[in-house]
Amino acid sequence: MITSVAELLITDGFITPAERESIEKLSAKLGQAFIKVALNFGYISRKNYERSLINAGYPLNQIREEEYDKDILSKIELKLANDHVALPLRVQDGKLITLMADPTDQLFIDFVRFTYDLEPEIIIASDLDITWMSHRLLGEKYVKSAVFELMHRDPANSARVTFTSKQLIFLFVLLGVICVGLVLNFKNTSITINVILSFFFLIAISFKLFLALVGSRFELHQAVTNQEVRDVVTDDLPVYTIHLPVYKEDKLIKKLIWNLQSIDYPREQLDIKLLIEEDDDKTLNAVRNLDFPATFEVIVVPFHMPKTKPKACNYGLHFSRGTFLTIYDAEDIPDTDQLKKVVALFNKMPDNFICVQCSLNYFNRNENFLTRMFTLEYSYWFDYMLPGLDTLDIPIPLGGTSNHFKMENLVELGAWDPFNVTEDADLGVRAYAKGYKIAVVNSTTYEEANNEPINWIRQRSRWIKGYMQTYLVHMRDPIALYRKIGLKGFLGFSFFIGATPITFLVYPLLLIIFLNYILFDLSTIRTLFPDWVLFMSIFNLMVGNILMIYVNMMAVFKRRFYELILFAVANPIYWMLHSIAAYKGLYQLIVNPFYWEKTNHGLSKMSSPVNVVK
Amino acid sequence: MIKKSTFLLIITFLLAVYYLVLGVYFNKLGYYNAEALFYIEKSKIVFEGLGNRLKVMGLTAPIIPFYSTFLFTFINYLLAPVIASAIGTAILFYLIAATLLKDVKDNFYLALLLIFFVFHPGMLYAATAGKSLYLVLAFFYMFFLNILKFYRSNTTYHVSLASICLVTLTFCDYRFIWLTLFFIPLILSITLKSLNLSEKESIFRLFLSFNSPSLRRKLISKTFALYIIIFILPIASIVCYKLLNLTHANDLNYFIESPYATWNVLADKINFDEVTNSTTYKMPDSAVLLSLKMIMYAPLILLALYMYRQNTYQVLTLLTPFAFIEFLRLKYDKIYIAHEFYLIFIILALLCIIFKLESYKNKKTLRILMGIGMAIQIFTGYYFLNRSPISDEQKFMIMLRKPVENHDQDESKDIADYINALPDNSLIMADDAIAYPVAAFVDNIQKLVMPYQDKFLTAIETPRGYVSYILVASPSNRVKGYTQLNNTYFNFMRTNDSGMLVQKVYETPDWELYRIK
Repeated sequence: MITSVAELLITDGFITPAERESIEKLSAKLGQAFIKVALNFGYISRKNYERSLINAGYPLNQIREEEYDKDILSKIELKLANDHVALPLRVQDGKLITLMADPTDQLFIDFVRFTYDLEPEIIIASDLDITWMSHRLLGEKYVKSAVFELMHRDPANSARVTFTSKQLIFLFVLLGVICVGLVLNFKNTSITINVILSFFFLIAISFKLFLALVGSRFELHQAVTNQEVRDVVTDDLPVYTIHLPVYKEDKLIKKLIWNLQSIDYPREQLDIKLLIEEDDDKTLNAVRNLDFPATFEVIVVPFHMPKTKPKACNYGLHFSRGTFLTIYDAEDIPDTDQLKKVVALFNKMPDNFICVQCSLNYFNRNENFLTRMFTLEYSYWFDYMLPGLDTLDIPIPLGGTSNHFKMENLVELGAWDPFNVTEDADLGVRAYAKGYKIAVVNSTTYEEANNEPINWIRQRSRWIKGYMQTYLVHMRDPIALYRKIGLKGFLGFSFFIGATPITFLVYPLLLIIFLNYILFDLSTIRTLFPDWVLFMSIFNLMVGNILMIYVNMMAVFKRRFYELILFAVANPIYWMLHSIAAYKGLYQLIVNPFYWEKTNHGLSKMSSPVNVVK
Repeated sequence: MIKKSTFLLIITFLLAVYYLVLGVYFNKLGYYNAEALFYIEKSKIVFEGLGNRLKVMGLTAPIIPFYSTFLFTFINYLLAPVIASAIGTAILFYLIAATLLKDVKDNFYLALLLIFFVFHPGMLYAATAGKSLYLVLAFFYMFFLNILKFYRSNTTYHVSLASICLVTLTFCDYRFIWLTLFFIPLILSITLKSLNLSEKESIFRLFLSFNSPSLRRKLISKTFALYIIIFILPIASIVCYKLLNLTHANDLNYFIESPYATWNVLADKINFDEVTNSTTYKMPDSAVLLSLKMIMYAPLILLALYMYRQNTYQVLTLLTPFAFIEFLRLKYDKIYIAHEFYLIFIILALLCIIFKLESYKNKKTLRILMGIGMAIQIFTGYYFLNRSPISDEQKFMIMLRKPVENHDQDESKDIADYINALPDNSLIMADDAIAYPVAAFVDNIQKLVMPYQDKFLTAIETPRGYVSYILVASPSNRVKGYTQLNNTYFNFMRTNDSGMLVQKVYETPDWELYRIK
């Protein structure tokens, strides 16, 4: 019988005595098992650990089908099982069958003896399988909390109900009025709708240009300078939680580890959680098969509908211990100094700033037409519009990743809404409504731009659906919202979040009128709409498109993507894709509002170098 | 102690009052010009006319000055352009003074600026004539202000604002679109400077950049991007506007070529014909000499060039309007260069000097030079405007020199008075291509049947039954060739419709009003 796993690892040459000391220190500090720290803080790879155990005559067992006793499980807390990578299952032959990743974890063995008054019968298994079992069998309370916490605590801000009765009445009355109008006076009603829609289109785009202009004023502004980053005292850095919600991202795991290792932050102060869904064996096996050390802890999110990223993050929150928290996607490449920059910014900002949004951009921008357009879009969005919103003190819809929170405020806000498919945008508005502020920092996370049209439409339909959800949630009581965020915030929210999906929905309608009028010279159009209406709608469509092209052109300057400037001209075509996605999103909003359209990552053939900040 | 901004607002207000008093006084003495009359007539159509008003509203050019007169039509149609230009010029003063006060503490320069705005005939012309000049100067100023700010800030913000200002400038005077051509060397120079090269001399930097493939690619793509970001908006706006002209008037260039859409098609042509045919024949401006004239008119530009002698961008910026003006001379060879193109040099010189004032070391010399330069400029202003080959400008100078009653528009007023006295149900066919001064003075524009209305086409074929009067250009009217409603047409119509009996009811040297029985 081995005396301790630590000795075994030293004997096999996988860790040094000095490393053992560090692991033990950290283990004591965190209250976690030695092996958990060794595996999750990059001291040893899972393959090597398995090798050591096998060499010592302890092969890892398959445990997923093991029987369990609910009474036995009821006596152990998930957090304890998770920290010690151990789980008692059932009583058999007078002994307590216990799964353990480290059979020498005396603390847990003592716990078993003390709690169950039985001797443990240890089944050695992979830490990943035990984690999987623990969360599946004990995680119900946490997953229910992840799903329903916001709904119970703040039902007015939960997207669990997509349309409230009042909203449905409003929509049906509006629809009824339009129908009656069309029956009674088809021509005038059509004219009114056309004029309203075309003006709305122009105003919404003009607002975007305005925001971009305001934002462009500060394009050289550095919220945190390099000197300030250098001045950060490493010993004073707080624990930083990083959530990595993944689903079937097995191809990206190696890349992910490489990117995480490049982050300039003390390893022991990082609390990285890889959030894997219960049914995602692909990713779990990819982690299992890693033959080099990883720096993250795997959290298995038990099955519960809706299967969304915010639900996974909420679940992960229960096990997070950071002062600050951020989310990255599996393929993200953050600037290496990003965490330090955020800490420096939080330190110099007033207390009511609870979130910092970093810029997002793409490493594979020159891959094809779609990635180029996507890069232009992200560039103007994050480099110009968000700083514009920030300057004007308008609610910022947070980007999907690289938003850094103060943990306690995030929890106070009720964290993410698992029923909202753009939970980040929603959270931004909720934060503003509670009087908190969001800052934008000069640090970038590079992602993989979607390079495949169908995949792109899937992703975009989710975003647009999420914007619709967010708008519906916060417009349940427009007067209350107005009181909370003021006129500027209200208008900004309406034009930025509310108008975005509507613009994409309206765009093809205006385009059809335009094509019928200009290209096909359709007489019906001329009969239906008098010249002045056609003049106005064509004017609005043309000017709107030009302004949007212009906003896209502005986007190239900050990052010096000059070679992309001509692609901005293709924005009207790119917007057609948006419109397709918008109609798909609208359809899903009605029939399947919480469905999370999965975006496939890892399709890019371009290399993704680490974004080292010099 | 009054705050600086309040002080500036008070001065601006007083200046606006001064311009208004002067403008209204000239107006009451009978001073009008073709452009103001054109706006008055079109405003009346838009607000009171019956017919395709949208076409008038959308395709009348230049569109921004036309719209700016809208704001004041509720006061008085005839005074609206004057009020707009008076207030607009005062705002221009505010803009320049605000830039000045931002950096410069010496009130001497503010006083100098005020003197310029109060006494310079060009500025008085801009402020009181009711023309679009004030808007041209304001947007020209804003455009270059943002370009200069861009040199300092290097942000897209100022480039974008410059671009938006150029759009508005183009819609104040279409000819400014050609300015886009002369920015290429400037932008190349900006890009060249931004490249990370150890070599300091521009020419060698250029040499290095062209000989390295990666630098060459960088240079070209950045130059192109910068050029595009400044000029895509004006160019695209013009293209769109032309398309709207095509769809609504079946002519891409309707807004610059049709006398129904813009005032200067006829005014410039008539003016050129008059000057070149008259006994006091004036040579059109010749190359280089024109630039020299500009320097004489705005000597402060030399001071600006001297102050920026070591700054390539700014020198190129200052030289750009020279190239532009020379191009205009070639492109529009049958048009005399209007006063607005002279004034832009003063505005640019002032802007550049203001930008450099604080950092200039020899303050005393600068004050003396500025004082002398401004005095010369005011003098040359009178000198050049007095000798202007353009009749509108000459008439203004006559009025400025000796404000006595002006009878230029008496004929139009007489005809309009007669029409005003006709019963409300009378319909008078008139062609506002040339009759817009008459229409401008008509109280009830609905009495007139004009080409913007669909019924005009029917009425011109068979007037009987559609209209009760026809306003015809008399044989002595010098613009009779530009309308269908002249004696040739009238005689043809009478021959064609023998049943139509007409009676001449009113006549002036240029107009004949016939009643159809």
